[in-house]
Amino acid sequence: MDLEQLRKTAAEVVARDDVKYLIGWKKGSYGYRVAPVFVEDAAGVAELIFSPLCTANLTTYLTLVEKTPLPRGQEADKRKVALMVKGCDSRAVVQLLVEKGIHREEVIVIGCPCPGVVDQSLLVEKYGDTEEPVEVKWNGDGFMLVRGGEEIKIPRDEVLAEKCRLCRYPNPVISDHLIGAEVEKWSPAEDSGVSELDAKDVDGRWEYWEEQFNKCIRCYSCRNVCPLCYCQDCILDRLNPTWINRAVNFSENTAFNISRAFHLAGRCIECGECERVCPANIPLGKINRKMAREVREKYGFEPGLDPEAEPFQASFKPDDPEDFIL
Amino acid sequence: MSAMLLNKEKWPEFVKKLTGKNLWAPKLDGEAMRFAPVAEGEEVSLDYGNTRVPPKGATFPQTETMYRFLVGNMEIEEPKMDEELVLLGVRPCDARAMKIIEKLFRWDYDDPYYLKRRELVTLVGLACTEPGLNCFCSSVGGAPDSSEGLDLLIYDLGDRFLLEAVTVKGETLIAETKELLTDSDASAVKAKDKLMADAGAKIRRTVDHDGIPEGLPGLWEDPLWKSVSASCIGCGTCTYLCPTCHCFDIQDEVEGFEGRRCRMWDSCMFEEYTLHTSGHNTRPTRRERTRNRINHKYNYFVDKFDVIACVGCGRCINLCPVNIDIVEILRRVKEAL
Repeated sequence: MDLEQLRKTAAEVVARDDVKYLIGWKKGSYGYRVAPVFVEDAAGVAELIFSPLCTANLTTYLTLVEKTPLPRGQEADKRKVALMVKGCDSRAVVQLLVEKGIHREEVIVIGCPCPGVVDQSLLVEKYGDTEEPVEVKWNGDGFMLVRGGEEIKIPRDEVLAEKCRLCRYPNPVISDHLIGAEVEKWSPAEDSGVSELDAKDVDGRWEYWEEQFNKCIRCYSCRNVCPLCYCQDCILDRLNPTWINRAVNFSENTAFNISRAFHLAGRCIECGECERVCPANIPLGKINRKMAREVREKYGFEPGLDPEAEPFQASFKPDDPEDFIL
Repeated sequence: MSAMLLNKEKWPEFVKKLTGKNLWAPKLDGEAMRFAPVAEGEEVSLDYGNTRVPPKGATFPQTETMYRFLVGNMEIEEPKMDEELVLLGVRPCDARAMKIIEKLFRWDYDDPYYLKRRELVTLVGLACTEPGLNCFCSSVGGAPDSSEGLDLLIYDLGDRFLLEAVTVKGETLIAETKELLTDSDASAVKAKDKLMADAGAKIRRTVDHDGIPEGLPGLWEDPLWKSVSASCIGCGTCTYLCPTCHCFDIQDEVEGFEGRRCRMWDSCMFEEYTLHTSGHNTRPTRRERTRNRINHKYNYFVDKFDVIACVGCGRCINLCPVNIDIVEILRRVKEAL
C-alpha cells in the first residue's frame, strides 16, 4: 500500500471546496485498534492509514449522518463526502447507488485494493493483546506484525478474516481514485460454515439458531454498523404497531434477526461487519451468506456490482425459479 | 468477619455445596464468558477475566416482568420473587457497580424489584490477579480486591483459596461450608497482600478525573464532543455491557388477551431514547448522546450520589465496534478543562 499516494490524494480531495470531509481509517487508541476518522483539512491526512487492520466498512457513515431540522434560512450542506473503501466496502457503495440511498454526485470513492484483512480476535488469540502501539503490514503472501521493534511474520491463513477467505472482489468495483495497483484475485474458499449448517436437518438448524439467538442482547450494533441497514424508520424502533417487542427473549430475538436477514436478502454484500461487531459472538455472517448464496445460485444475481442494476427484490423475470414455492 | 482457607482439592466439593442453592457462575458461552446457572456436579473454573456481559442482570434483568394482567380485567398478578441466588466469581468492579446503582434505586423511591433482587442475591467475589488490558478500576475508586458490594471475597493463592466474609450473608456461606475450610494464617494473609499489590501494579490504564465532575458543565458546547462522537454508530454495546448503566424503558406487551407490563434495559445511545411524541428529539445526534453518557457517569451521578458511575471494567472500550475509548475521551475532557 502506497501511503504517500493515499495521503497526497486525500489532501487534494479534502482541499476541494465541494468536499465536506473524507472518511478513512486511523490508528486506534491502543494496540491493534483502528478507528474511523473524519478528515476535514489537509493537516488531518497525516493520520490516514491503510493496513490489514482496517476491517471496518466505512460506507455505513454515508447513511448514518443525522439530518436534524435546519434553522430557518439555513441551507443543507450539500458538499460531497469522500470515502475510503476496500473491495467489499465498495460493493456497499454500489448497492446504495442502486437503491438510491445515495446519489453518485454526493460521494467521492477512494478505492483501496485489498489483499485481505486480519481477524483481530484471531490475532489476539494467537499473538496476545497489547496496549502498546503496534503495526500490522502486508508482507508477501502473509502479514507482518511489528511490535516493540520485533518483526513477526504471520502466515496468511493463520489470521485472515473469514470474509476474506471467501472474498470474490478484493478490488474496488467502483472508485474515483484508486490507490496503488489492483491486487490479484484469489480463489475463494468453500463456505464451510454455511455448508455445514445446510447439511443439518430442520431441527438441527433450529437448535443451532436457538442457541445463537438466545445470546442476543439486542444492542443493535449489527443493524447500526450495516451499511445497508439504513431505513429511516426501522421496524425495531416502531411501537405502534409494535412489530417486535422490546422484551429480550428467544422469540423476539429471533423475530429481529430473521427480519433483518430477510431485509438483506439480495442486498447484503458480505462485508462481515455484523458478525465482527456482535458482542454476543453470534455468527450473523452465516445467515447473510446463506441468503446471498441462495440469491446467487437460484437467480444468478449478486448485489453491489452494477450501479445500473435493478434492485433484486424489486425485479421479476418470467423464468425466475419457483421450485421452492409449495 | 471471618477469614478461612479452602484447599483447591476441595474446590469441587465447595461448588457442589453451593449448587444446592440457585448458583450462577461464569461459563463459556460460545467464545465469551457469561454468568449462567451451574448444574449439580458441574465444574466451575475461575480462570477468566471479566465476563463479556456483566452480572448486573442478577439484580436488574434485561427484561423484568412487573406484573401480568388480562385485557379488560382490572386485577393484576405480581410475579413471585422469592428465589435466592448465589453468584460465584463476581469481579470486584461488577459488585461495586451494583452498590453504586443501588443508590439510584433507593433514591426518591425504593424500587421494589431491584431491592428485592438485591436482597435475594449473595455475591461471592473473586479478587483479580490478572487485570485486563483496559481495566482502570483503581482510577475510579475501586481496586482488584475491593469488597464493596460483595458478601464474600475469594483470593486465589495458588494451591488454596482465601475466603473473607464481608457481610452476614458471607458469614452464613462460610458457616455452611465449614467442614471444608481451615482457619486462615499469617502466611496466607501475607501471600494475599503480595498478590494484590502485584495485581494493582499490573493495571496499565489510568484516568485522572480530578476536576472533571465540576468541569464538565463548562464544556457543554465544546468541540470535543463532536470529535469524540463522530465515528459512533449509535448502538447499545457500551451501555448494555456497562455494569453501572441502569436506564430502562417500560412497555406493556400483549398477546391475545394476556398482557404484561415489563421494564427492560434502555440505552441513551439510541435515537429513540429521548424522542418525544411530538417528533422533537432533545438529543438529536450522537454528539449529544455521547456527551450525555460521559456526563451521566462523571457529573450527574457524582452530583447526586457523590460517586462516579463508572467502575473502570473496560468493557465499553473492549467491545466498541469503532474504538470509542472512554479513557481517551476523559483525557480529552481533562485537556479541555
